[in-house]
Amino acid sequence: MNPTLIGLIGIALLFLLFFSRMPVAYCMAFVGFVGFSVIVTGKAGLSLVARDVYDVFSSYGLTVIPLFILMGQLSFNAGISRKLYDTAYKFTGKIPGGLAMATVWACAAFGAVCGSSPATAATMATVGLPEMKRYGYGDELAAGSVASGGSLGMLMPPSVVLIIYGIMTEQSIGQLFIAGIVPALLITVCFMGAIYLYVVRHPEQGARGEAFSFKEKIRSLKGLGETMAVFALVMGGLFLGWFTPTEAGGVGAFGTLMVTIFQRRMTWAKFVKSLYETLRTSCMVLLLITGATIFGHFLAVTRIPFNMASWVAAADIPSYMIVGLILLIYLVGGCFIDALALIMLTIPIFYPIVMDLGYDPIWFGIVITLVTQMGVITPPVGINVYVVSGVAKDIELEKIFKGAMPFLAALIVGTLILMIFPGIALWLPELMY
Amino acid sequence: MIKKKLDGLIDILKMIGAFSIAAMMVLTCADVIMRGFGHPISGAVEISGFLATVALACSMPFTHAVKGHVGVDMLTRRLSPRIQGIIDFKTGIFALIIFLVISWQSFTYASSLKKSGELSMTLEFPSYVFVYFISLAFAILCMVILFDIIHSFGKATEK
Repeated sequence: MNPTLIGLIGIALLFLLFFSRMPVAYCMAFVGFVGFSVIVTGKAGLSLVARDVYDVFSSYGLTVIPLFILMGQLSFNAGISRKLYDTAYKFTGKIPGGLAMATVWACAAFGAVCGSSPATAATMATVGLPEMKRYGYGDELAAGSVASGGSLGMLMPPSVVLIIYGIMTEQSIGQLFIAGIVPALLITVCFMGAIYLYVVRHPEQGARGEAFSFKEKIRSLKGLGETMAVFALVMGGLFLGWFTPTEAGGVGAFGTLMVTIFQRRMTWAKFVKSLYETLRTSCMVLLLITGATIFGHFLAVTRIPFNMASWVAAADIPSYMIVGLILLIYLVGGCFIDALALIMLTIPIFYPIVMDLGYDPIWFGIVITLVTQMGVITPPVGINVYVVSGVAKDIELEKIFKGAMPFLAALIVGTLILMIFPGIALWLPELMY
Repeated sequence: MIKKKLDGLIDILKMIGAFSIAAMMVLTCADVIMRGFGHPISGAVEISGFLATVALACSMPFTHAVKGHVGVDMLTRRLSPRIQGIIDFKTGIFALIIFLVISWQSFTYASSLKKSGELSMTLEFPSYVFVYFISLAFAILCMVILFDIIHSFGKATEK
């Protein structure tokens, strides 16, 4: 049997296993191992898995992941999110839908210390939902803004998706991070627009809140400085080349720990909880990488990525249509599979194609992060929606999905803007490097 | 009885893992600060890699036990508990196969590294120790999965 055919059978088997509830990482490792053994030899397959596991587990480059996750967990457990939310509310409270806007801004700010979108959604759901309920907000708008705002956690640096993309494609994580800032702000503004339009049509969903004086607004910024200083130190140090991404993660986590101890927000129990959560999430992410590495080695010997790239190059299709098609695959795939797993699975296939077409690797990284973020709020497996429904058990799942729709439209608009004007993502890194 | 001991073991590994992560954070940060004063910690990069290996290996049984891995359950959750049990039983066997292979091959790999006398570059520490550790952690993971398989077998054969 020719390797490409075995590869296609492998991919089909992988999807079959996906839908049998087997953890995605296990599926990839299993199919990758069996497929590689069939194509090369059983012995080669056996030694491949041991090496791949050790290479991933001991890789210094990947130590950046647990450290940034720890930084986010420490901020989460110390309750920094509440402070961010209160401040944002002081500024947007009196606008109709202002609490939802405050939620979105707080999500963007929390995304600056946390690299995961479900974590951001969970944080804001615990903080923002009770407040919005208190002011009589509709369930759709309240839950929708929390679930969707959470997706900003992934785009705003530090971002686990961007770290993984950078490692897989050998692009600078620092450049990817800085490239994510302006698009994240753009999406935040698009979200605000979506909330505004939604409230104009459904005024009962988002009532006007209190107004605050200019003095109160300025005063609310107090106590925020330390958190933002940690962010500035981490990003600044990374861009200026003071430290590697791993060191940036270490400094960020330690800085956050110190700030939260200093603000008396941290306790021993919260610290230990952060460590355990970090361990669990890191294991999930790193095992996904291990599975994807084994599966990627299998794909490489099937020559499918190579054949795909040459097939696309030979076909007479305009390049924007190919990129559009790839993004459509990410959008549909993101509805079913976890964003990280999807990116790890598909980058070996799509990245060479997009590079052959002459697109910028940094820009492509930002765009696919955006597109896979749409998947976290779309049915049937929008993870953020499930996270929010886990926190707010009294709100039906359908209502949250419905509430997320205006934000999905905003994400699509944002992505189109970014596709038409790639400079939005690229000007800041170009300025720095 | 065995299950209780296994849970205790998972807890111990979890604590070692948490300690390794905390140590990684302190070490990386200390290295950056010391470097500022012109005295970087020699071998900090290597130790970080080792600590990460330990942390991840330790977290494997724990993460599996708390179902911390992402999976797609939108189809299976609509099925009857008995069918779910059958599916889980089958996928459990696949998972057991791959992790048994990883545990066994890591052991072989560690033995070959030990034989060749390979040491880490800066600290000259024998890295095969960590490969043995990975092998052990995956063996414990296999035990956890074995209990899952027995559990889903029970569900599958329930009347």
